[in-house]
Amino acid sequence: MARTLRYILFISVGLSMLVGLFFRPEHPHFWWERVPASDAIFGFLGCILLVVGSKVLGHYWLQRDEDYYSD
Amino acid sequence: MRIIIVINPIPPAFVFIIGAMLIPIVRERRLRQLFQLLIPAIAFADLLYMGHGTYWSYHFLGYELIFGRVDKLSLCFGYVFVIIAFLGMFYALHVRDVGQHVAAFLYIGSALGITFAGDLFTLFAFWEIMAIASVFLIWLQRDTAALDAGFRYIMVHIFGGCVLLAGIIIHVVNTGSTHFGLIEYGGLASQLILLGFIINAAVPPLHAWLADAYPEATVTGAVFLSAFTTKSAVYVLLRAFPGVELLMWLGAIMAVYGVVYAIMENDIRRLLSYHIISQVGYMVCGVGIGTEMGLNGSVAHAFCHILYKALLFMGTGAVIHVTGRRKVTELQGRNLYKMMPICLSLYLIAGFSISGVPLFNGFVSKTMVVAAAGGIHSVPIHLLLHLASIGTFFSTTLKLPYGTWFGKAPEGEKIEEIEAKEPPSNMLIAMGLAAFLCIFIGCYPRVLYDILPYSVHYHPYAPYHVAATMQLLLFTAAVFWLFIDKLGGHATISLDTDWFYRKPGMLLLWFCSHPLQRLRFGLQHLLSRMVANVASLSKNPILLPEIAIRYIHLRIISRLYHIFGLSEDKLEELRELESRYDAIRKITYDKDVYRRPIGFGVLLAVVLLFLYGLIYFIRSR
Repeated sequence: MARTLRYILFISVGLSMLVGLFFRPEHPHFWWERVPASDAIFGFLGCILLVVGSKVLGHYWLQRDEDYYSD
Repeated sequence: MRIIIVINPIPPAFVFIIGAMLIPIVRERRLRQLFQLLIPAIAFADLLYMGHGTYWSYHFLGYELIFGRVDKLSLCFGYVFVIIAFLGMFYALHVRDVGQHVAAFLYIGSALGITFAGDLFTLFAFWEIMAIASVFLIWLQRDTAALDAGFRYIMVHIFGGCVLLAGIIIHVVNTGSTHFGLIEYGGLASQLILLGFIINAAVPPLHAWLADAYPEATVTGAVFLSAFTTKSAVYVLLRAFPGVELLMWLGAIMAVYGVVYAIMENDIRRLLSYHIISQVGYMVCGVGIGTEMGLNGSVAHAFCHILYKALLFMGTGAVIHVTGRRKVTELQGRNLYKMMPICLSLYLIAGFSISGVPLFNGFVSKTMVVAAAGGIHSVPIHLLLHLASIGTFFSTTLKLPYGTWFGKAPEGEKIEEIEAKEPPSNMLIAMGLAAFLCIFIGCYPRVLYDILPYSVHYHPYAPYHVAATMQLLLFTAAVFWLFIDKLGGHATISLDTDWFYRKPGMLLLWFCSHPLQRLRFGLQHLLSRMVANVASLSKNPILLPEIAIRYIHLRIISRLYHIFGLSEDKLEELRELESRYDAIRKITYDKDVYRRPIGFGVLLAVVLLFLYGLIYFIRSR
């Protein structure tokens, strides 16, 4: 199960890269839409930014014990 | 010869409201279940028969109330509201608590009332019914947390309703019209109305009621809650404030805000609630962009969102229904996927839909809003919406299902066996139907695009676009894979803007129960002593002067003795005085002792008569 899932993922990464390489947007709105795999890079970095950002925010500021409001 | 059948019985809102009143009468359970499904079906038929135009307008106190303003925009929301009413009712068929069904029907009816309201007063009336009906879906969970959260929920909504009413009144006085349509932004009236609307749309910082209350609702109630309040707010924003730039920024910030909080969240339904905020952000942003593409995207996304978000709440609700647990930390490592695989699969369909995976409905609607942001060449809006997409996929489709159905419990934690099985068949069927619609719209977006307010010139399945979306999502998944061991839940809550009314509220409560209570006791004590003294003195009013003199004497003497030192004989003298004072206070009035001769009374009468004569004499001169 886990192995099939991994294959599916690898194949779809490869496919999306290939398609992304050959099909370019006709009227790009922003400069990065001309860069191949820009969305992959954005997805990777954006996700790290979000996770690390919210972990830091939660750990140092926002997260409290579950009974914070009850005492 | 054509036979024209005029079916114009009642507005769709009243189908549900009358249905709500009839539910308790139907005692037989099977019959009631049939009735619950029949009502949305009747309402749907009602919608199909309504052509564009204005129906059901009544004169009331000099104003015109319009219950049926039908155009493409209101019909689109009407369709999806009735569809989700049917699915939600199917999901709730097993519930024996009739009150929940009544509340749900009233809630649905009021949302439809808002959708078809053609004037501001009708809108406001249904707005308030919606707040009151929906709070019962929370309260009927019947535990303390739900009761408290429900009270906070209703107070926020009553505040929002008052703000809206104030805005409406100023607007009506200024313009002289109660018509509900495009409102020009600028000026107090429009700002108050906008504020009332965005409280219901859960726009930060006015959003905390949503993430506070929805997770405390009943399992079936949360499905309805996820659909109506915020989406009817999106509808009124679309109707009144398209193209207000403020909304574009609020929406984009809101989309990321919800995502950030969702990553921190441990309670599975609260996590999804933060994603409602995030997804409604896309819609609000679309309204703010205001182009045809933006408005279409907003409507389409509301339509799709209602379907997949209900399915997400159904999936997590099913887990809560069978296990009684609602937190990732209580569920991870229990391998629920072995016991409820169908539920998991249907949940994942909703997950793929909300994340905008191609072939699922989120893809055909969310990308419209993102494309509209591209159309106005706004870099920050575009990036914020993309960032929110990443976070959505990360939390709802990867982290939540992984933590709930798979996951690893932390080292050393004792894992007890959970008895779990698939939820009741009506729940599964409702989930299946919702999942079917998610995929159907994803594969044939035309059915949705054809009912949107403006004609659609947008092709989501352009190869570049599909590839770009897949890249974005797959690399998000890659990050999840890398950090998978560090992403277990933590048993915490996250502070949100409800802190600003919950903590001061608790402080106010403490102030009332401690200092204010003490002041009350002090005052009460003082007053009751005064009353006791007056009562004791009035036993013998004739002795009052003497008591007063003796009291003052006693006080002065004792004060003086205290100042100049107290020798033994002085102390003796003081005691003597005190005992005499006490003795005199104990003397009660005895009429035989104080009886005066009759002549005294006559004398008094003569003196008074003389005084009266004197005054008369002086005055008459």
